Order: sequence, then structure tokens, then C-alpha cells
Amino acid sequence: MHDGNENKVAERRGFLKTLGLAGGAAAAAAAPAAAQAQAPRPRKETEVEKVAARYRETDHVKAFYRTNRY
Amino acid sequence: MLIKRSEGKAARQRLSSTYQGLSAGGMDRRSFLRQAGLGGAGLAALGSFGLTTARPAAAGPTNFSQPIQRIKNICTHCSVGCTVVAEVQNGVWVGQEPAFESPINRGTHCAKGASVRELVHGDRRLKYPMKLVDGQWQRVSWEQAIEEIGDKLLEIRQKSGPDSVYWLGSAKFSNEGAYLMRKFAAFWGSNTIDHQARICHSTTVAGVSNVMGYGAQTNSYNDTRNARTMIIMGGNPAEAHPISMQHMLAGKEQNRANVIVIDPRFTRTAAHATEYVRIRPGTDIPIIWGMLWHIFENGWEDKEFIAQRVFGMDDVRKEVAKWNPREVERVTGVPEAQLKKVAQIFATQKPATLIWCMGATQKTVGTANVRAFTILLLATGNMGRPGTGANIYRGHTNVQGATDFGLDVTTLPAYYGLDEAAWRHWCRVWDVPYEWMVQRFASKALMETPGIPTTRWFDAVLLPKDQLSQPDTVKAFIAIGHGGNTVSRMPEAIKGMDALELLVVADPHPTNLSSMSNRRDNTYLLPISTQFECDGSRTASNRSLQWGSKIVDPIFECKNDYELLYLLARKFGFAQEMFKSIEVKGTQPVAESITREFNRGAISTGYSGQSPERLKLHMQRQEDFDLVTLRGRPGSPVEGEVYGLPWPCWGTPEMKHPGTHILYNTNLHVKEGGGCFRARWGVEREGKTLLAERSYSKGSELTDGYPEFTVAVLKRLGWYDELTAQEKEIIARVGGDNPDRVSWSTDLSFGIIRVALEHGCQPSGNGKARANAWNLPDPVPVHREPIYTPRTDLIADYPAIDDRRTFRLPHLAKSVQARSYSLATSFPIVLTSGRLVEYEGGGEETRSNRWLAELQQDMFVEINPADAEARGIKPGQMVWVDGVENSAKVRVKALVTDRVAKGVAFMPFHFGGWYQGEDRRGYYPPGTDPIVLGESVNTVTTYGYDPVTAMQETKVTLCQIRGA
Amino acid sequence: MARMKFLCDSDRCIECNACVTACKNENEVPWGINRRRVVTINDGKAGERSISMACMHCTDAPCAAVCPVSCFYTTADAIVLHDKDLCIGCGYCFYACPFGAPQYPKVGNFGGRGKMDKCTYCAGGPQQDNTAAEYAQYGANRIAEGKLPLCAEMCSTRSLMAGDGDIIASIYKERVQKRGYGSGAWGWRTAYRETVDV
Ligand code: SF4
Ligand code: SF4
Ligand code: SF4
Repeated sequence: MHDGNENKVAERRGFLKTLGLAGGAAAAAAAPAAAQAQAPRPRKETEVEKVAARYRETDHVKAFYRTNRY
Repeated sequence: MLIKRSEGKAARQRLSSTYQGLSAGGMDRRSFLRQAGLGGAGLAALGSFGLTTARPAAAGPTNFSQPIQRIKNICTHCSVGCTVVAEVQNGVWVGQEPAFESPINRGTHCAKGASVRELVHGDRRLKYPMKLVDGQWQRVSWEQAIEEIGDKLLEIRQKSGPDSVYWLGSAKFSNEGAYLMRKFAAFWGSNTIDHQARICHSTTVAGVSNVMGYGAQTNSYNDTRNARTMIIMGGNPAEAHPISMQHMLAGKEQNRANVIVIDPRFTRTAAHATEYVRIRPGTDIPIIWGMLWHIFENGWEDKEFIAQRVFGMDDVRKEVAKWNPREVERVTGVPEAQLKKVAQIFATQKPATLIWCMGATQKTVGTANVRAFTILLLATGNMGRPGTGANIYRGHTNVQGATDFGLDVTTLPAYYGLDEAAWRHWCRVWDVPYEWMVQRFASKALMETPGIPTTRWFDAVLLPKDQLSQPDTVKAFIAIGHGGNTVSRMPEAIKGMDALELLVVADPHPTNLSSMSNRRDNTYLLPISTQFECDGSRTASNRSLQWGSKIVDPIFECKNDYELLYLLARKFGFAQEMFKSIEVKGTQPVAESITREFNRGAISTGYSGQSPERLKLHMQRQEDFDLVTLRGRPGSPVEGEVYGLPWPCWGTPEMKHPGTHILYNTNLHVKEGGGCFRARWGVEREGKTLLAERSYSKGSELTDGYPEFTVAVLKRLGWYDELTAQEKEIIARVGGDNPDRVSWSTDLSFGIIRVALEHGCQPSGNGKARANAWNLPDPVPVHREPIYTPRTDLIADYPAIDDRRTFRLPHLAKSVQARSYSLATSFPIVLTSGRLVEYEGGGEETRSNRWLAELQQDMFVEINPADAEARGIKPGQMVWVDGVENSAKVRVKALVTDRVAKGVAFMPFHFGGWYQGEDRRGYYPPGTDPIVLGESVNTVTTYGYDPVTAMQETKVTLCQIRGA
Repeated sequence: MARMKFLCDSDRCIECNACVTACKNENEVPWGINRRRVVTINDGKAGERSISMACMHCTDAPCAAVCPVSCFYTTADAIVLHDKDLCIGCGYCFYACPFGAPQYPKVGNFGGRGKMDKCTYCAGGPQQDNTAAEYAQYGANRIAEGKLPLCAEMCSTRSLMAGDGDIIASIYKERVQKRGYGSGAWGWRTAYRETVDV
């Protein structure tokens, strides 16, 4: 059902393209905290970005609501 | 009421303290454990991770710059069969998403399913083969392990015969794995091949099939949405099958259904019931007969259904007449008014379903229990329609499929049994000469004799040779995907383990088999992948098959089940014959080709229509299936088909049978999944017909009962010439001298089935269900007091069965029961056991999962406040629970709670790694010890076996509890 | 604009803890930190009920009011987040929170010793969306991905709901009307100063 979303997700997830996070394996061995220590810190969000709305009623979200109904 | 707790400022402090677990109702099972827990052993264990590995097992976070693959598999824990959606990047499982489209779980999981990704992180998995050398674990190569194990097994075979090797398979296998292992055991030459079903629903399979024809769940989890009344008796789905509760609660809410829980323990399920009936443990039959007493007394039974479709109900009436309300109350403790109310609701507020689990089956009277349950359903006409039925919730993910494929000492795949006809059928399917197969066995007699059940394997090691009906005692034990703490009488199991010449554990985890015994040599551990690292189909409790696709390659040096069996077969020299029609890539058998092989042979159960292609299509098109009917949506590629093609799915895949959602449903055409009771026991008994009367499935050209279809029957009906020339030719080949005797279930052409279906007939006949199963002990179920009972006053009236021999072994009952007289005063508490939501089975896998382990860090015993007070036991303190055999005792925490009645104690069965107060963590290979260890309840469970299946008694024994 | 809320239908909750392990799985939350917990009332007795609890993302969040370094902020979706770079681990927010949500690691976890951790509504934090830095400090950002909290998405019985407060309230109302009972929208008056009228 949300197979179709995959590309979109990947796009959104494309934020990381510049980040060069090493392959999954390296990330795996490290606990999140350690990963943080190794990764270069990108700039943080601005005050406006921080509070911006992100919720959208996607197909995924609609599916969730539907499965909560009878 | 609850809303008040959150209102206003005054409530604030209380809310925070509720959060800390100090709820008004006292301590719950998590909070009391947590207070002691956080810094405890579990956390210490976590500190010792060592990732010294060939292939790193890996985990998130998701790298969002890489493409994400979405792969579907099935939860490897319980039989609900929840779809798991894995997000995979670079061969690493980085995320888990809800599968909203699955009609079974709609995206949801329980604690276990929501944390399965952790299973292939593999922190505490077995990483490479190991062997015990003078008490030390040493790493060895796969080649060396297979060579050494194989040589030793061949030596034992030479010296003691093939029956001296115990082959233990798994309910975690895929269908393909289960089928392959049963085939492997046949090629090895032994029927001593078993798995977890022995200790969960073997009694259901034997009992229910002896009443109705098939021994499986008749309806489905989803179908409970249609029920107006549900009785849950001897089951706790809120913990054991959590996603089933989604459907049950929806049914409860939409139909304002009655939800009645009958159980000695006020379970998490009982908390959601409209009526809770507390019974004395071990009194199921008196409860059912007590209900039927009211039903017959008031004429609430379904007379037409009984007349048309049930044989022997009058014999039941005679037995039921003894169970007047006074006697029922004396034996069970349930007052007349309550049971009458429940009986009336069940018989009159229809459709009604009876749901059961191991509270009914793990009993010395298990087979009789489930027959009584089925008889209650039949008497009230609650069978073969939506919302009704025997909703038997199986345990492990594929325990249904593994049972169906014959990981069972009594039968070849698909319940063909072990007689010569059965062997000849499978030899034809396997394309090996029957005579060749015979010489693999110690004798033709042993080839046709059931093997030794897993509940008794250690007796077969320890008993003197002359007490065993086989050439020699058991010398080697090979456990593939099975824990060791699941059998009762653990102290004796450990002795058996010590006495073995060879012990092999092939499993993702070392299991407690590696830590329980005092072995120092001749012990091997082989790392096996989970089903997430393997392709194959699995059968959920409702008989639906689901195809799981490999999510990641086997981690570390793990191999999948298929490859292990191939390597062993090659070592033993029969790989050529065994894999004749199975594709093998390198040393890896291909799952799909195994499926196709069983499609050709597993005809009797209707496992023939579910080709890999059809199953994969269903997984792809999950969103096209209806939530309640499980039918494919019109216009979709799966139109009209039932999700997962639940068996029986008659004929070849090309015949496109839709699968059978509800068994014995005469309101549908057989081609649409309708059916009737099987005609399995002949046509007549004592002058009465065993065939249905004026009842038949929709569209049947035969409008009365009829026997199973054979060539002779086709000829009598004048339908023989509807077989094609090719079909006739195959039938002639199968039938040899006597083609008339070829039946629908041995006809490899599927022609007989095809013709029967064309005429609207069920190939397996249209018979009556049997309320009197004359071939079993206690043909009409009767109450028998548990072997160890506190009610010694009842033993004279309701004694255990006579001592006997079953399954090549002595089988005691009455002589052991006599011990109760002297024990009941010093061991006054009834001990029962059961399941927790966060763990599963023997628990090694789930206790190694840090996300689950954190939730339950201690083994405990539930004890009633009155019993605790009388013994000066404080909540949360350590206590000894003393058992009545072997001077066994376990050291556990006391959970003082009203959940159990006075005189009853409960322990979960998922713990292991401690033994009678000793922490055996150091015995595991370093780095593979589960995070949480604890005493196994089975250290103090006792003797007692069902006479039909050798199911062990784990639900009723005696104990004493004292402070430690 | 949609206002995110949680609603736990306690007549459905079976204390299966899927919500708890789903949270652990999605956010790789370390041992000992519990962003979400299930609490059982009247355990083992008639009237036993369970409720799944986490940060409720309150209107006028009391934690924010007491934080000495002002690390909390509320997004336009009404999700209460905090900045771990500012947090000094003082623990005031724990005492202010009516739901006991804030958690403090004893060892170095989730961005440093003693920094407060709590449920983010699966909406990350003040690092850029779905970066490794955000994941390391705060966990996943499902909201930015167009999804909802995984705890709710995986709840076994559809007891725990998350999303647009109006929509989940209407679903809850529909349920109560259908089945004829309901213990109310647990915690709503405290968190959101309103209840669901049925
Ligand atoms: S254990 Fe059973 S109910 Fe839980 S997620 Fe797995 S299949 Fe579903
Ligand atoms: S919303 Fe996300 S962070 Fe919060 S409890 Fe649920 S899963 Fe955990
Ligand atoms: S997943 Fe749902 S039912 Fe299970 S404990 Fe959490 S809120 Fe309750």
C-alpha cells in the first residue's frame, strides 16, 4: 500500500546525501550516542524550522485511521 | 471511573505515582519486579556484549540517503501470523513498519512482534559452530562439526539401530523445513521425530480429529468478529495471542457479544470478559458436562443438527446425567446459578464459539477434554458457520504447519499415518522404491510403529533396555529449533542428558540444553538462522499459509534449516535420493521446489493447491482481502479466494480452489470452500449410520451422506468415465493390481478429487461427527482427577486411568495417583503454569532480546494473599517452591495476588538457566547467555501423560511454598 | 490546523507492551529508559485496566514552565520537544510532569550523561529532520516522514491512538456509541483541558 511512497520517503530522507553516513554496519556497532560523536554535526534547525508543522494526512496516516475504525 | 483519576490537580501526585507502578491496587507484575530490577543481572549481562564476528549483524539507524527495500515476512513468534514489514538497506534490516494491509494484524503487533528486528541484530545469537571439549566451548568449522556429528551418528546407527537417535524438529520451521525434516527422518529410518506440538496441542489434534475429521481450528481469528458469544476456556489470548484480541474485542463491541472466561486464574483476558468463571484446576470435563446438563434439561440443544450430523450423542447424555449441579459444584467449585447462566447464553445466544488453548490440552485427560469441548459445540449446533466453531489457538508461529507435515512420531506428512499404504504413497511421491525405504528401518514392524514422543525422550535414555519396545535405548539427541526446559520432570531430563553419547543443538541460540547438563564432551552447537533469514511458507493457526521472504542473509556463520538437513543427508549418503526432485543450489535447497513437492503429495489435508506462486500473490495483494470474510475483493487478481488458501485447498493449484475459511460449512459449495464432516470411520456402526442424514454442502448432487471417494465409488456412481485417459493411467500406476481401491488421497493425478468437486461433493465424504470415539480410551469423555490432586476424597469416584504401555514405553497413571494420599497434606497448593506476553516457549530467544528482557527480569510465582500470609511471605521476596518428585525445588520471587485463588499458585514457563537455586550462566558459551535467566517451572512439574498422545501434565500438580 | 494528541482507550488495552517495544525498536531507546510504559490498575482483580502512558504533549506544558534553561518548545503540530544541548539534567520537569514522562539516563546515552529523554511523538528534535544527528539525540522523525508514532501504529488492539486530535476523538466516540461503554479519554483533562463528549 505504501510501496508507492518509497520514492518519496527516500527523497525526504535525501537530507542525508551530503552527510556520508557510513554503511549500516558501522552505524550498527555503535550505540546512537557514539554515532553522534563520530558524525559531523550539521547545523541545527532555525527557530522557524523547529516549530514548523510537519504532520500531513498521507496515505500511510489515512491507513492508520482506517484500521482504528470498525 | 478511570477518568476521575486524571482529573484535577489533586490527582497529579497520584498519577505520577501510578506511573511509578505504585497503583492503588498494589504492585503489579512489572512494577514489583522493576523496583529491584534496573541495575540487576540483566543490565550486567548487557554490559558484556562482544561483537567478534565473521559477518557483523547490523541494526539501524536508517541511512536516508540510500534506497530502502520493503520486504514482507511473518512474525516468528505465535500462530496468529502477523505480517512483519522490514525496511532493508545494504542488506541490513534498519527499520520495521506496520503492515496495515494484512487482514490478520492490520499493522499491529504485540511486544514480541514489535521487537523482532532485534532477533537479527544477533548480539546474543550463536555465531559459529561450537563443541564442548573437556567442559570448555571451542569454535569449530561447519565441515568439522558435520563430519564428527555424522560419524558418531553412523556409529550409533551401526551399534544400536536407527531408533537410538532422537530427532527433534521445530514449530519454528517453515512448512518446507518441517516437511523436509520428516522426510529426512524417514530416509534415516526412524519414526522418532517430534516437535513442540507434542507439548501444546497434540491432544487437540488427536481429540478433535477423532470427532470431526480434522484436528485444527475450524474458523479463524478474524471470524471471532462474527460471534455473539465467546467462551475462552483454558486460554489467555491477551498474553499468548495478543492480536487475536483485536478481532475478539471488535466482535465484543460490535455485537455486544458475551465474552465468558472460564479459568482457574483471573487472566489479562478475563479482565476484558463480561463473565468470569473460576474453576478448580483440572475439572474441565465436569464443567462442560455440567453445562450440557442444563442444556439437555432445558431442551436448548440443536436437535436437528444432532440428528443430521452427530453420531453417539445419546451416549453423552448418559454420562452428562451424572453431572447434576450439586456434583458439579462439589467437584469444580462453580455454583449452579453461574453455570446455568453460562450454559444458557452459550446455547441460545448464537453464533457462539469456544476458544481454547493449553489449559485444556496439557492434561492427563487432554484428548478427552477437547472432545468434550467439541461435543458442547456440536450439541448446540455451533459448528460450520461464521461466528461459531472450535477456535483452537495454536502456539508457535508454524506449529500448525509442522504438525500437518508430520513432525510427529505417529504419522508421515499430512496425517497419512504409518501403515504400509501410507509409506507406499509417500515413496511414490518421493520416487524411491518402497523396498529401499523398508531396509532403512530396523524392521518393517518398527517402520509402522509410532516413535518416542518428546515428553518421554529421557525415559527412553534412562529406562532399562528391556522396558523399551525397540532394539536399544536412545543414545543421541538432536534438537533442531527446540528448547530443553519445555518438558516436565526436568531433574530426570537432566539425568538423561548426562547419559547421552551425543547431544547436538542446532538453533539460533544455544538454548538451555547447552547449560542444563553437566556434560563435558560430545556436545555440539550449530548456529541456525531464524525464518527472517530464510524463504518459506508458514501456516497460521487458522490454516492460512503465508509466504515469508528472506529479509537478510543468515547472520554470522548461520545456515538455514534446509541447508543443515542437506549437509546431514549428504554425510549419510542419501542426499541423491532425498533431493531427487528438489532443486539444490550449491548446498542450499530451494524453498519453492520443496513446496511444489509437498503440493504433489499432501493431498489428504488439502495442502496441494497452495503453490508458491499463489501464496506470493496473496502476500502482494493483502489489501485486497476482506477483514471479516477473508475473501479476495471482486475485480482483484485474488477475487473469491480466501486469504492464505487455508487448507483444505483441494486439488492442484490450477484447479484454483479458494481454500477453506470455515471447516464443515455446508452453506457453501465445496468449490467455494464449503464442506462437511469427514466420513473417516466407515459407514455404519451397531446398526446406525455414520454418514450424514439429509445434510450436505450446497450444490451437492448427492443429497445425503456419502463415503470417501475411491475409484470403486466413482464406478458405482457412474462417474468413472469422467476421468481423463491420463488420470486413469496415473491411477492404474498407483493402484497396481487393485486400482478400485485408489482413493482421493492417494490419487496422484487428482482426478478423483476433480470429479468429486465437479459434482459438488467433498472428496473425503460426508459423514457424521462422533460424540462417541470408540477407538480411544474413554470413548465418551469422563472426569478423572489429576494424578497429583489435593482432593483425595474424589480419587475413588474419579480415578486416573489404569497403568499401561504407550509409545514403546511403560505409561503409569493410577499407581502414581495413589501417591496423592500421602502428599496432599504437606504439599497443599495446586501448581499451574502458563504464558507471559513478552516471552515465548522455553524463552531463550525472547529472553535474549533486550527490548523484551527489560520488561520482565525475574521469574516469579503468583500466590494468593491468604496463602502468603499463612506462610509469612511478603510481596516481592524470594521463596522456594517445592515439588512432589525428586525433592525438586525452585527459587523464585513471590508475586502476591488475587489473580490466583487460595490454594493455587501459578508460574510462567519461559524461564531457564537457573537450576534449584543455582545460576548456571557460566555454562553457556561466552556471549550467548540470554540477558534474563531464571528457574524453569518444569523443574517442579511432575509425572502424568495423556494416554493417546503422551502429552505431559503441566497444568495441575502439587507444591509447597516457603520463604527463602 | 491539526493538533496532535494521544488517546488510550483503556477498555481495549491488554497490557501487551507492543507500544513499549515498538518505541524501543523505532528509536533504539537504551535499556533503562522508558519513553512509554503501560500501567495496570487493580492488577489481578475485577476492574483490572491497563493504560499506556507517555508524554501527552500537553497544552501549556508544565515541564516547559519549570525548565530553568527553557529547553522546551511546542511545534505548530502541538508536539512538545526539547533541546538536549540546552538541558542540564536538573530533573525539575519530572516533578512538574503529571504523567512522569521525563527520563534521565544514568550513563552516557542519547546525547550525553543525564540529559533528559522523553517521548518525542516520533518527531525528532531541533536537529535537521531525519539526519543521523537527529536520530542519535532524539530518535526517529516519523512525523516528517508523513507517518505517525510507531507505538500507536503498532498497538495490538488499536487501543492507543495518535494523530489529529479531532479525528481520533471522533473514532473514540464512534466506538463508545457502538459498544455502549467507555472509561473516557484518559488523561485528556489534565493534558489538553478538555474531554471527549460522547
Ligand atoms: S507474537 Fe503473535 S500476536 Fe504477537 S506480533 Fe507475533 S504473530 Fe502477532
Ligand atoms: S510517540 Fe514515538 S517516541 Fe513517543 S512513545 Fe511513541 S514511539 Fe516512543
Ligand atoms: S500496544 Fe496497545 S494494547 Fe498493548 S499495551 Fe500498548 S496500548 Fe495497550
